Amino acid sequence: MIQAIKNFFIALRQIAVGNKKYYLWVSFLSFLALLGASAYIGQLSRGLIITAMRDQVSWGMYISNFTFLVGVAAAAVLLVIPAYLYNFKPIKEIVLFGELLAITAITMCILFIIVDMGQPLRVWHILPVVGAMNFPASLLAWDVVVLNGYLIINSVIAFYVLYRLSIGKEYKMSVIGPLIILSIPWAVSIHTVTAFLYNGLSSRPFWNASILAPRFLASAFCSGPAIMLILFQIIRKLSVVEIDNKAIFKIAELIAYAMGINLFLLGAEIFKEFYSGSIHSAPIQYLYLGLHGHDKLVPWMWFATTMNISAFFLFLFPKTRENFTTLNMACLFVITGVYIEKGMGLVIPGFVPDTLGEIYEYTPTTQEILVTIGIWASGALLYTFLLKLAIPVYTGKLRFFSKTQLTAARDIMTKLVATIRAETPLDEVVKLMLSKRLTDMAVVDDSDKLIGIVSERDIISLEVGQASGKTAADLMAAPTGTVPESFHIQELGKVLASRTANLLFVVNENGQPVGTIEGSDILKSLEDIRRE
Amino acid sequence: MKKLTLTGKRLCYFFFLLLLSSPAISIEHEIHRKFLVPPPPFSEGIFPCSQCHQGMPVNRTPRKLEMMHQDIVLNHMPGGWCFDCHNPDNRDTLRLANGKIVKFEESYNLCGQCHGTILREWKAGLHGKRTGMWNGEKQYLLCVHCHWPHDPAFKAITPMPPPVRPADIK
Amino acid sequence: MEEDGRRSGGIDRRAFLQGAALGLATLALPLGRADASFWESFFQKHFREMNDDEIKQVIDRLEKEYAQKFGKQIEIGADKPIPGVLYGYGLDLSRCIGCRRCVYGCVEENNQSLDPQIHWITVLRFKKGEKWVDLENSEKYYNPEKVPEEEYFYMPVQCQQCENPPCVRACPTQATWKDPDGIVVIDYNWCIGCRYCMAACPYGARRFNWGSPKRPVEKINPKTHYLGNRPRYRGVVEKCTFCIQRTRKDPGRYPACVEACPVGARKFGNLLDPNSEIRYAIEHKRVFRLKEDLNTYPKFYYFFAYGK
Repeated sequence: MIQAIKNFFIALRQIAVGNKKYYLWVSFLSFLALLGASAYIGQLSRGLIITAMRDQVSWGMYISNFTFLVGVAAAAVLLVIPAYLYNFKPIKEIVLFGELLAITAITMCILFIIVDMGQPLRVWHILPVVGAMNFPASLLAWDVVVLNGYLIINSVIAFYVLYRLSIGKEYKMSVIGPLIILSIPWAVSIHTVTAFLYNGLSSRPFWNASILAPRFLASAFCSGPAIMLILFQIIRKLSVVEIDNKAIFKIAELIAYAMGINLFLLGAEIFKEFYSGSIHSAPIQYLYLGLHGHDKLVPWMWFATTMNISAFFLFLFPKTRENFTTLNMACLFVITGVYIEKGMGLVIPGFVPDTLGEIYEYTPTTQEILVTIGIWASGALLYTFLLKLAIPVYTGKLRFFSKTQLTAARDIMTKLVATIRAETPLDEVVKLMLSKRLTDMAVVDDSDKLIGIVSERDIISLEVGQASGKTAADLMAAPTGTVPESFHIQELGKVLASRTANLLFVVNENGQPVGTIEGSDILKSLEDIRRE
Repeated sequence: MKKLTLTGKRLCYFFFLLLLSSPAISIEHEIHRKFLVPPPPFSEGIFPCSQCHQGMPVNRTPRKLEMMHQDIVLNHMPGGWCFDCHNPDNRDTLRLANGKIVKFEESYNLCGQCHGTILREWKAGLHGKRTGMWNGEKQYLLCVHCHWPHDPAFKAITPMPPPVRPADIK
Repeated sequence: MEEDGRRSGGIDRRAFLQGAALGLATLALPLGRADASFWESFFQKHFREMNDDEIKQVIDRLEKEYAQKFGKQIEIGADKPIPGVLYGYGLDLSRCIGCRRCVYGCVEENNQSLDPQIHWITVLRFKKGEKWVDLENSEKYYNPEKVPEEEYFYMPVQCQQCENPPCVRACPTQATWKDPDGIVVIDYNWCIGCRYCMAACPYGARRFNWGSPKRPVEKINPKTHYLGNRPRYRGVVEKCTFCIQRTRKDPGRYPACVEACPVGARKFGNLLDPNSEIRYAIEHKRVFRLKEDLNTYPKFYYFFAYGK
């Protein structure tokens, strides 16, 4: 365990290593994050009054971003299902990057909640046991449970897989299988619970529509994967990770279906509100047409709707979704479209008009926007670091070995002092064996490659006098007991155990014998390692 | 405002003094509950009315007042006259239609002659304003505290300023 | 039963918190925020999980803090609900003239911030003969020379003290709850300022301290209640408590808004007392409650005493 933690910190050093572009990118993000932090310090010292939120519109940009990001996090499930349940290989190879994205998105969600709190120091009041979590009555308490649970599940899966990879082993499905199965309904739950958080409020007719949770999920399954598609292309370009086009096109196809459903649900909502035209249609009127001359969100909403519809068609036709220019366009359209529709487009109309009929048009302040940018930059930084940690492990560049794995044949072998050739007379072989105290001799060809072995026992088995006139070629056996120089102790042990002879020949990469290893050599070095 | 929040005890005492100093000869007791009220809202220096009216002959003819009380323009009970309510024989009291005499402090009985349902609701605490203790001694306002009896319609007042708009809260 | 559970849970938690407090305190010492009061306030327990002694300690500390901050003695009560009392409020819409005396009477009594301005009562103005139940046609910022105006009527809205309060359900930390006398209260030292209750309230009754509440010292009403009008903090939610510091006493004064109303449109009393003014109103007048379709069961009754 301690070794694993040490290894983690060694791997963490990867973060500090990179080319000029990498440092530029990290500095850029750090700058933005610091900018956000300084705006947040301003908010801490003066209060949320520096935002444009007021009693009438009591949630704004922070909660909008939170809602959007919950969707991004939930979308990892769109990779998990084909990867693990259907064993679709191209996606199975990249599911890890989706899980890392989920971890990042949830972390950002938590940050957005923290900056929205009036008393962030009291955050522990929300915890069970130490605090006074209002569970199960409060949907916000549910959200705390499911979001943190999702963060833990994804962290465990991702870090376990990376750990196994880093020590050169396959991950065991018996260990994470149940977690992976659990993560699927859990991903659905984080988004459902977040939708219910709004949905359950009878005071806000705009949110109090049963279609809200399905809409949340549908739009999440567009925006999250769209972000992943763009990230995959960047990862593919900047690292040696190979991502199959098949995976990308499959995800693009899934986005098309999700967007289709999303647009259908939105249409159903719009129909119901406008056709029935009750007083509860005021918020949607505010969104799409403007209400009593207040129409700040109207252009944004039409822009978002246009983006979403165009993206739907780009994703729908194989021709456009398999062309990277149009595919990337579609991804950007979906991301902006859903960001508007499910961010401010969802949160603000819950408050406009407010419960007493007042219309306050909320426009975020500069500080609010800076804090938001800061959190996005921190998220990007976190994802960059996670990738920096994961990619070398993932591609096999970074491996951690135990001492037994690090002690190779070349380290413990007895160097070869003499070789013989096929035409060497046996008399001479016997002389060599006696003078050098050898029990077995390697037979090499003109290029010094091992072609056979002559052993003491083979010679002894000859009757007296029969040896004269014979050469090594007459007695040599095929070279089966050979191992490469790089084999580590454990592997050597395995090979030795499978053989009757107690001696192994070590050959280099050219097939030339370089040394021998006896059982006692292995035993000795194992003992040395143990004593250390 | 301060007067309204006097403690019950002080009010009782005050009421008791009023009772003692009152020259009324018969006091109407048709209601059993006593209602604690602040002093009637007389114009300054006008009470007791007997200061001036003592010994003045009673002129029962309805006419335009020219010597005193010119400010009173009766906008209540068309065709009414002072003695429909005021007691001509003792100006410090009021007189009901049935001839019973009531003090100014119990003028609600006079108003109740016509506004019976309102009197009932006033007694129940529904009409009019009560201050004091919600579960203890309460202080009632008389009808005349809000309704100037010669012109009883409630007069418009200046509202307090509207709240600051959210956009102006900085 | 539940009470016992809470208590024992409280002890475990206290032990845990003390350990955690020590740990954190040592961590934070170099940061220079190690004064005892800060940590005591940081680790203060939930109001309902404190026993009388602990409440007293907290109140002593708060009174000291307030004295330091305002240079003025502020008395914090913690009167418990009176058994057999369920507070109810009545508002006669046929009489309200929209003068906002109640709004400012409330502010004077309950120590709301003057800047940024916080009002617990909102008076809405509606045009006679036009629809008004959706409240969307209401005007909150009307400012004529004189009220009442011929063509309008008025409706004040404040916390409705729902029997089934959506805000209490929403609060993730149980910082707001309904006491047995029906008053929905907030522990300003437990509220985390997430404002979910504000989203949940159908009556726009909850107010947030967006900035640091400001009020001249001489205007601070020193007679306060822990769950009522004591000075608040930045970043917490507040609202009408039916003047808990006045009404939760025997005998207790009428709420400030009742006393401020120049037309006696506001009625207050015990819903369990058949002789109370509020019961008279409910039994003799046709009362309605705001947004009854939401099943919040407010204890704030609107009625029309006259057909005006």
